[in-house]
Amino acid sequence: MIELLLTPLHYEYMIKAIVVSGVIGGVCGLLSCFVTLKGWSLMGDALSHAIVPGVAVAYLVGLPFALGAFASGLLAAVVMGVVKSKTRIREDAVIGIVFTTFFAAGVLMISLFPSNISLKTIVLGNILGIADSDIIQMLAISAVALLVLVLKWKDLLLFAFDPNQAQSIGLNTTRLNLMLLILLAATAVAALQAVGAVLVIAMLVTPGATAYQLTDRFGRMMLLACGMGIVTSMLGAYISYFLNGSTGGCIVCLQTLVFLMAFFFAPKYGIVAARRKARRTTDALLISGDAHPVPALRGL
Amino acid sequence: MSHGSTKLNKNDISSEIDLHVNEVTVAYNNGHVALFDTTFDLGAGTICALVGVNGSGKSTLFKTIMGFLTPTRGSVTIGGKPVQVAQKQNMVAYIPQAEDVDWAFPVSVMDVVLMGRYGYMNFLRIPRATDLEIAIESLRRVNMLDYKERQIGELSGGQKKRVFLARALAQRGRIVLLDEPFSGVDVQTEAAIIELLRELRADEHLILVSTHDLGLVPSFCDQVVIINRTVLAAGPTHDTFTQENLARAFGGTLRDLRIDHTDAPDGTSNEFRVLSDDEEPLIFGHDGRLVDHWHPGIDEEESK
Repeated sequence: MIELLLTPLHYEYMIKAIVVSGVIGGVCGLLSCFVTLKGWSLMGDALSHAIVPGVAVAYLVGLPFALGAFASGLLAAVVMGVVKSKTRIREDAVIGIVFTTFFAAGVLMISLFPSNISLKTIVLGNILGIADSDIIQMLAISAVALLVLVLKWKDLLLFAFDPNQAQSIGLNTTRLNLMLLILLAATAVAALQAVGAVLVIAMLVTPGATAYQLTDRFGRMMLLACGMGIVTSMLGAYISYFLNGSTGGCIVCLQTLVFLMAFFFAPKYGIVAARRKARRTTDALLISGDAHPVPALRGL
Repeated sequence: MSHGSTKLNKNDISSEIDLHVNEVTVAYNNGHVALFDTTFDLGAGTICALVGVNGSGKSTLFKTIMGFLTPTRGSVTIGGKPVQVAQKQNMVAYIPQAEDVDWAFPVSVMDVVLMGRYGYMNFLRIPRATDLEIAIESLRRVNMLDYKERQIGELSGGQKKRVFLARALAQRGRIVLLDEPFSGVDVQTEAAIIELLRELRADEHLILVSTHDLGLVPSFCDQVVIINRTVLAAGPTHDTFTQENLARAFGGTLRDLRIDHTDAPDGTSNEFRVLSDDEEPLIFGHDGRLVDHWHPGIDEEESK
């Protein structure tokens, strides 16, 4: 039995997949706290799709994939900004138009000019078959993103919570906004090969949303989300060996499972706790007889 | 003595915390001129009300003083320095409107107050003992120390307001900007806020309050700036907050009640007017029942 459980670890590609998934899951988890609280999940989804044409071009001309992805993500962000400022179309519609255009262009390019990266890899991820050069790019991106988050999380927190206060104590909020956007694009690039363009957004939202159910302290929320990202990603990669199924699918399903547990059973904000609290308050009022919930009607 | 307190004392000693708004014009990219040729000066030890109708440029003026907007023409200086320099020295503290805050955000009362100390901390924003002491002292001063571990959404409207006041105190800002501080606040908190603002004034702070509560202005503001896309009147409350100036600023948007007790028993003239931006008032008669029509002595008209 134990021998069976350890089989995945006998393969180098499995160990690589588990470790890389864990690293990316952790960084995505940290960033997901800002994404959830700032309401940037649509933006995250958009960026993770908008990087696809960049990846396609990079593979076609033989550049590092991260470079192409990053350039195309930022180009998409700029295009969104321009379209929004020049029309009266609402922001979510602008994001919708721009990212689908980019994604479509990417899909078209890959299908027209087959290279050594398949459409399936980009859309669904392929962490098990990942090349070492790509692993190095992913780890480098993760390391930089992690460093920035560790050094700047308090400034980013203030920016997310109260941008006016951030500005009024002399912080450069334009730069903080850009920093958060670049972090988002960078992690989306790193996560692309792990879970695929379609599921990147789950890694960038679910851990944060789950941790938000569990705590009222931002510091704790980051630790919880990061831990959840690491554990679910490593476990997801590990389990996918036995299921012989998509690694991205495994990771995201595990994250959803944890989210559902928090949704129902979180000590303070869970459905069960809320219901129990409502019942207890009502009971207390009924037992104390005279205490009508409406003070003016007490003793009637 | 630590670095932060040195900075702090330096600010305390310099009494030059005057605010100069000099011929400021702010135009937005779409060509809309929100403020035109706006000029006024305020000194330390002042509570100044900023009043005007919606769209009069109050928030544009606030944003310009805080450096969020750069004037197309003219300048704002604080203690003789450009806004950006003054900000870096933590001279400007800002208390947001309740609607502008995400109250479900996972931060505690203490976290929020410590945010006021960020400007004094190193780049990792790790609070030193001084920062914690000052945060606690600030919370004590607004009577919120018992709540320091609460998540901010778990407070009443008045308590929330006091937390942000504590943050401004902790920041040691010499200029405090308050945006609609009395909206959604009970009478008791209103009194507490005013009391605290008076203390800050005695402490040589300069306080600028943007408010709709015209009735409260004379009770605690010694200066008034009335604007409608430019300064209509500025100066001591007694001379500036006049019926004529308000009518010019609010023309048509205020309810103007004339109440005339010509039938007063002693026969003296007792006429007074009520200016109100509230909704239609309810008027009750002696018997505690609604009066259907205006009392003959009360004559309502929209002021022009």
